[in-house]
Amino acid sequence: MKNIFILMSVHIGLFLISCSAVASEVGDAQNESRPMTSAEINTILPDPKTINLTGGMFNRLWSDPPTLDPHLCSDTTSSGIVVEVFGGLVSFDTSLNIIPDIAESWDISENGQVYTFFLRNNAVFHDGKKVTAADFKWSFERAANPETASSVAETYLGDIKGVANVLSGKTTEITGIRVLDDATLEIEIDAPKAYFLAKLTYPTAYVLDQYNVETGGRNWTDNPNGTGPFKLIDYKIGERIILQRHDLYHLEPAKLFKIQMNLAGGSSMAMYENDEIDITGIGMLDLERIKDPIDPLNSDLVIGNPGFSISYIGFNSEIEPFDDAKFRKALTYAIDKEMIAREIYTDLVIPAYGILPPGFPGFNRELKGLKYNEILARKLLSESKYANVDTRPRITVTVPGTGGSANTDLEVIMNMWEEILGVEVAIQQVEWATFLSDLDEKRFQMFAGIGWEADYPDPQDFLDILFHTNSENNQLSYSNYEVDSLLERARIETDVEERIAMYQSAEQLIINDAPLIPLWYPGERYLLIKEKIKNFELTPMIVPKMRFVYIED
Amino acid sequence: MLKFIVRRLLWLPILLFMVSAFTFFIGTYGPGDPVQVMLGARYDPDTADRLRMSLGLDRPVIIQYVDYMTSAMQGDFGESLRYRGRGVMSLLAPKMLVSLQVNLVAMSVSIIIGLPLGFWLAHKQGTWIDPFVVSLTLMIMSIPIMLSIPLALWGLCLKADLVPCSGWGGVFDSRILIPAITMGLPGVAGLARLMRSSTLEVLGQDFVRTAYAKGLTRIQVDYRHVLRNSIIPIITVLSLSLAGMLTTGFITERLLGIPGVGDFAIQSIFNRDYPVIMAFTIVLATVFVFANLLADIAYMLIDPRIRVT
Repeated sequence: MKNIFILMSVHIGLFLISCSAVASEVGDAQNESRPMTSAEINTILPDPKTINLTGGMFNRLWSDPPTLDPHLCSDTTSSGIVVEVFGGLVSFDTSLNIIPDIAESWDISENGQVYTFFLRNNAVFHDGKKVTAADFKWSFERAANPETASSVAETYLGDIKGVANVLSGKTTEITGIRVLDDATLEIEIDAPKAYFLAKLTYPTAYVLDQYNVETGGRNWTDNPNGTGPFKLIDYKIGERIILQRHDLYHLEPAKLFKIQMNLAGGSSMAMYENDEIDITGIGMLDLERIKDPIDPLNSDLVIGNPGFSISYIGFNSEIEPFDDAKFRKALTYAIDKEMIAREIYTDLVIPAYGILPPGFPGFNRELKGLKYNEILARKLLSESKYANVDTRPRITVTVPGTGGSANTDLEVIMNMWEEILGVEVAIQQVEWATFLSDLDEKRFQMFAGIGWEADYPDPQDFLDILFHTNSENNQLSYSNYEVDSLLERARIETDVEERIAMYQSAEQLIINDAPLIPLWYPGERYLLIKEKIKNFELTPMIVPKMRFVYIED
Repeated sequence: MLKFIVRRLLWLPILLFMVSAFTFFIGTYGPGDPVQVMLGARYDPDTADRLRMSLGLDRPVIIQYVDYMTSAMQGDFGESLRYRGRGVMSLLAPKMLVSLQVNLVAMSVSIIIGLPLGFWLAHKQGTWIDPFVVSLTLMIMSIPIMLSIPLALWGLCLKADLVPCSGWGGVFDSRILIPAITMGLPGVAGLARLMRSSTLEVLGQDFVRTAYAKGLTRIQVDYRHVLRNSIIPIITVLSLSLAGMLTTGFITERLLGIPGVGDFAIQSIFNRDYPVIMAFTIVLATVFVFANLLADIAYMLIDPRIRVT
């Protein structure tokens, strides 16, 4: 999960400055041959005749990934490449079901705490070396080692027994991970947790080649020996990344031969129209014309699933006047989200009344949200402790950014508060790093312009992390005993339906307390994809998917 | 002259010390820190402390500074905190080199058009041409790149299909055309005006009248006396602008897909990537000192009357 910096209004203005660049010539870089450590070269190669090698190259814009080290990866720019080059025990398919990756199958013990993974015998690194259970053990231990300095190791691996001791530097060995034999790995977690398997799909849990990491120096990721469907064959910082098909991939190998990612930036629409790239997002201003059936680009228009995120206005429930739920609710009821979504965002966003986004596990159609109601808003305000304008504390909403003008939606919302409730709110803009630090210190009375994005499809990822009293990420200072106990029980509940029901009741309780105002779920995404590109799935989260893509001439 | 250069260079370490210390302490004591940005809202004090320790950010600031400067003096500017594992110079140097090339091309365009234009305009003083052309260059200068670049892209790339829409292939690649025009032309106005006024000043001098009185032709006077003298202030301006040659604006970079240093520098500040910010500041300060020195030397070479004491 990561906080996302919602820049919708800025996107409208700077739609041109969106993506990345072009590098016109194709670097014909050859894969550098790397020495192999053990002589254990896999003999079970896939029969070349069964591989459908349509080949071709896919061109797209990207930007420089902060890291290509799976264990350090915590952002989508990095993980979008990492998931194609590396792999782990399990993975997501494009419909977000957990599927076997290097593990062919697994058993879960009765008490739900011991996972036994059986590895495939044809899973190899890019250099042909077979992947073993010991490689996984070493990789998990490296990810948790303080020297690796991973900011996400605790989030994704913290449930495994013994990881805490490695993170704190007490030991280097994770007691909860045991190598039973070359192809069998046992992982023990501290409590039965239904979402644990989903966490293992994240790059922090990926397998690395010890020899590659230890001999490659600090920039070993320039020549990574991964297990994914693509090999990184060329990386020139700021210019391009080229991936090439890994023919020995253990699942069905990729159909594309190469993927070229242009890193230098550029005007993506112009580049797309000039056939320099095969896929692009569409700025709001271009959308209108492209939606018109007579536009030549109209036939390339593709509508994708929205991502799993929500943007909201947060209150600090411990700071006046937001310590009064009635006052918080009054503000919530006074916002006509439908109107803003229609008039300002031309329906590119969906008004949110709950927390979990549509399509996300646990999304509740029946949830009773606090919908726009002027009369109720005024009534709640008059009943609240802060009904009197003269004694009401000054209210300031803080937003991140350096643009100078606030998000348009917020301006309209502030206007609604003033007109309907007579509540005046001042706005203050703070640069991103400063915003984060003040947010963590819970210094803000009210904040906006941010959101929350899922990294694994489980309600725990939203509800437990944002609303549990003891969660470090509960920046709302929200505390409700009933919610806490539901969240705690849901963590270890093994019955899927029961568990979802718990999260849904918790979500309803949270909404009733109004510790935040849910604003928007992202709407459908509009993209242009060249007609020759087939099978490019638009998924709401980053999952390995490039191996399914092919080019039809 | 050598004495002068040496004395100037002696200032360099002192200046660098002041600039680096200022940048370092402002950065460290200012709000926000790199670990916070790394963790985003998934902040947890334990993880943050662990990361700070692993990255050496938990040490006293003064020790961090001394350590940093000690290795920086030996040419090691450390690792980026954002692009983990990457040496700062391996990130900065190629980007600065690209910015430098773009700027040199743009500046050449400005000079090649601007100087002759200014010189010519000075001779046209009093006619309608002078104010007309000056206003025209000012108008071109006033077009913001947010407009001029999309216009150039639309015209040269999408309509005329002369060049690809973006990317970078070096100075001799066709893609240099748009940055050369959009960055070079606005520079014409400034240089032409400067050249024009400086030429006018020289034209009014007694020695010019004397030269004409000696019976020299206009071309001879222009070349031997006017041009040489009127170009002196231009040299200063140009050498001083050398200091800015290593950076390009991030909007230009993003719109045209030029892998320059501007965008990277801004992102580094937002990400609190101290090692990158420090290295960038130190390099720029150094270049500035040398550019100044160069300006003074050029001065002396062109005009023997100027002597440094």
